[in-house]
Order: sequence, then C-alpha cells, then structure tokens
Amino acid sequence: MNWALNNIELIVKLTLTHLFVSLVPLALGFVLAVVLARITPASFAPAVTSAFGAIYAIPSLALFVSLPALIGTDFLGPTNVLIALTFYVISSMFFSARDAFASLPAATVEFARAQGLSVSQRFFFVELPLAIPGLIAGARIAAASTISMASIGAVVGVRNLGYLFLDGFQRRIFDEVFAGLIAIFVIAIIVDISLWLLGRALTPWHRSSRV
Amino acid sequence: MFDFQGVLTWLIDSENWQGRYGLPNLVAEHLSLTLLAIGLAAIFALPIGLGIGHSGKGGALVVLLGSASRAVPTMGLLFALVMLLGVELRELAVVLALVAIAFPPILTGAYSGIRAIQAHVTDSARAQGLTDSQLIRHVELPLAMPSIIGGFRIAWIQVVSTVVLAPLIGLGGLGFGIIQGLALRNFEQVVASALLIVVLTVFGDQLLGFAQKSQALRLESSSGGRNT
Repeated sequence: MNWALNNIELIVKLTLTHLFVSLVPLALGFVLAVVLARITPASFAPAVTSAFGAIYAIPSLALFVSLPALIGTDFLGPTNVLIALTFYVISSMFFSARDAFASLPAATVEFARAQGLSVSQRFFFVELPLAIPGLIAGARIAAASTISMASIGAVVGVRNLGYLFLDGFQRRIFDEVFAGLIAIFVIAIIVDISLWLLGRALTPWHRSSRV
Repeated sequence: MFDFQGVLTWLIDSENWQGRYGLPNLVAEHLSLTLLAIGLAAIFALPIGLGIGHSGKGGALVVLLGSASRAVPTMGLLFALVMLLGVELRELAVVLALVAIAFPPILTGAYSGIRAIQAHVTDSARAQGLTDSQLIRHVELPLAMPSIIGGFRIAWIQVVSTVVLAPLIGLGGLGFGIIQGLALRNFEQVVASALLIVVLTVFGDQLLGFAQKSQALRLESSSGGRNT
C-alpha cells in the first residue's frame, strides 16, 4: 500500500498509457467487427469465424513479435501491440456481432424496409440500435481480456501497467507487482461498468437490462 | 522486408536443437507444464462444475468467477505467486498460477453445459428411474460434452500463452527464444520461436475444436437433430 502511495504519479502515468493501448484497439476492433459481421456473406461466415478463432488462439507475445516480420514494423514499441489487440477484439467479437444481427426481430426490419428506409438508414436507425445489447455484451467480454492482455505489451517496451510486473519482479518489490494487479483489475471493472451504462443509455426502450 | 531466410536457417540449425535450451527440450517443457496444469485444474473444476450445474446451487458464483477471471492479467498473477513462494519454489508457483488460470474456464464450461440441458430431458430421465449419479454420467455429461471441451479450449489458450512468459521468471518453454532473442536483438530467433508457438497453440486449439464439433454432431444425429 505504501509503495503505491509513494509512486502514485508513476501509476497514474502507466494507467493512462494502459488505457490508451487497450481502449484504442477496443474501439477500432468494435467498429471493424460490426462492419465485418454485417458484410460477410452467410456462405463465408463459417470460414471467417474459424480464421478469427485461430488468430484468437495465438499467444499475445508471439503475435506482438510476429507482426514486425509480416508488416515491417519495429520489434519494440506500441504499434504491434495496438494492431495485435485490435485483431483479438475482432476475433472475440465477430461471432457475437453476427449473432446480434442475426437475432434481430425480422418483422421490425421488414417494416423498416416497407416504410421506404434506405439500406444505410435501416442499418443506422433500426438494425444497429436493436443489436446494441448483443454488441455491448460482446464488447464487455473483449474489454476485460484486452485490458488484462495489454499488460504483456510491457515485455516489448510499452510502458503501461504491465511495467509494474517486470520492474517489481526484478527489484523484488511485491507491492509493486500487487499494485499492478489491482490497478488493472480496477480499470477493467470501471470500463465494464461504463460499457454497461453506455448500452443502457443507447437502448432507452430496454429499461430492464441486466447487469 | 524481414529476412525469412534467416528464420528458416535458424530453425534448421542443429545447434538450436541441442542442450538445455534446444528446441525439443523447450517444446517438451512447454507442453508438460501446460498439460500438467490443465489436468490438475480439471480434477477440481470438472466435478465442481458438474455438481453445481446439476444441483443449480452456487451458479451465480461460477458466472462471477468466470467474468472476474478475465480481468486478471496472467503475467501479474504468475509473477506475484513466484514472489510469494520464493524463487526456490518457482516451479510449484508456476504450476499453481497456471492451475488458477485453467480453473475458471473449465468450471464455466462444465457448468453452462449442464445448465443448457432442457428440463424435460432430465425430468424424463428421472422418471425412468435414473439415480443422480446415473443421470450425471449417462445424460448430463454426454449432453454437456461440447461445452466442456469448449472450456478446455479456452483453458488451453490461456495456459499455453502464459507459459510463453515463463522465461521471464527463469524457466524455459518456447517463450525462451522470444525473451532471449529480444534481449540479444537476434530477431531470427524471436520470429522462429514465435512461429513455433503459433503452430503449437493453433494446432492444439484446432484439435480440441475438432473434438468439440464431432461431439456436437454425434449428439445431433443420435437425437435426430430435434433435441438441441
């Protein structure tokens, strides 16, 4: 506890970096997963699902250091971490996003079409709002794993909360490692609650939404 | 562009296949740590998950543990346990950390597999006179199999990925080439090791996925596809 209080400035700085390297992939991955889920034809969906399933199985450190070989980025630094985490978010959300759109009430969508709404109007004003509960549920699962997985970025030189694990272990300061664990857990819970509140705010007609 | 030839040369260099940090040894270490941890976790998680799913008591706790565990960074858990038990006991600490990581997904898989069985199925089995243990063994366990294997799939991914970090605390495993290679700026070694890790994890995941699918298909055909 004392360690955390004496190093609060460092913890705040690392937390900000941590939020940056996890929320940017989360937002990007969310949008890309929704777009991919919407444009992938049904006949390709199983293949795309299993391709993303395979990406999801790749350990994060291995993916971080494979990207430089594939796309020519630097081995150290945040770029690979941002790209890899975005892929994990898409992989984790693709299936649930398809599911969210597949389980829309068909009558409502048909009705919107009969009213003369264009494809994009239907998507933004009917399908997307109705899919929000399913999309938010998928985003909450992706958010928790992205925030905890981002800490491994510290191994490739991203100074986020994972740095507390490496530094604390090397200098034999248990409180430092423990502070990192608690900080990551707390921001994961705060982001989770924020997403839940966001889902509620976006679906005012669902007043009974579950936690 | 990156030198893939170098990666290949590194991979076929016989020097990298010998000794304590040779590839066969690192693969064996990686696999044995992973399988030991998943096996130990399963001994506890499967009966508890099946029991809770069967009785329905404590289900909220399983769901809570399942979602809370996602927010725990495995690297921090690993380091914290090694520091608590001391570096001399780090092998035990690593196994404990890995068991803790494998436990929630296996538990959740077993629990939700049983909860997803429709009441009329278990009711009619009971009406036939099956005892609790018969019901679990002959009805619930087979029907929950795809979900149970799904739990093992997540446990496999989580544990294999965490073992990649074992070199950071002085143990081996395939992550060794990444950590050493990054420190020595030997990027051929880094990429070659990462490649082997990818092959190992994706292969294991696909194997479990195949088992999961064949179990699901078997259930579908034996119930005429109606009892989903």
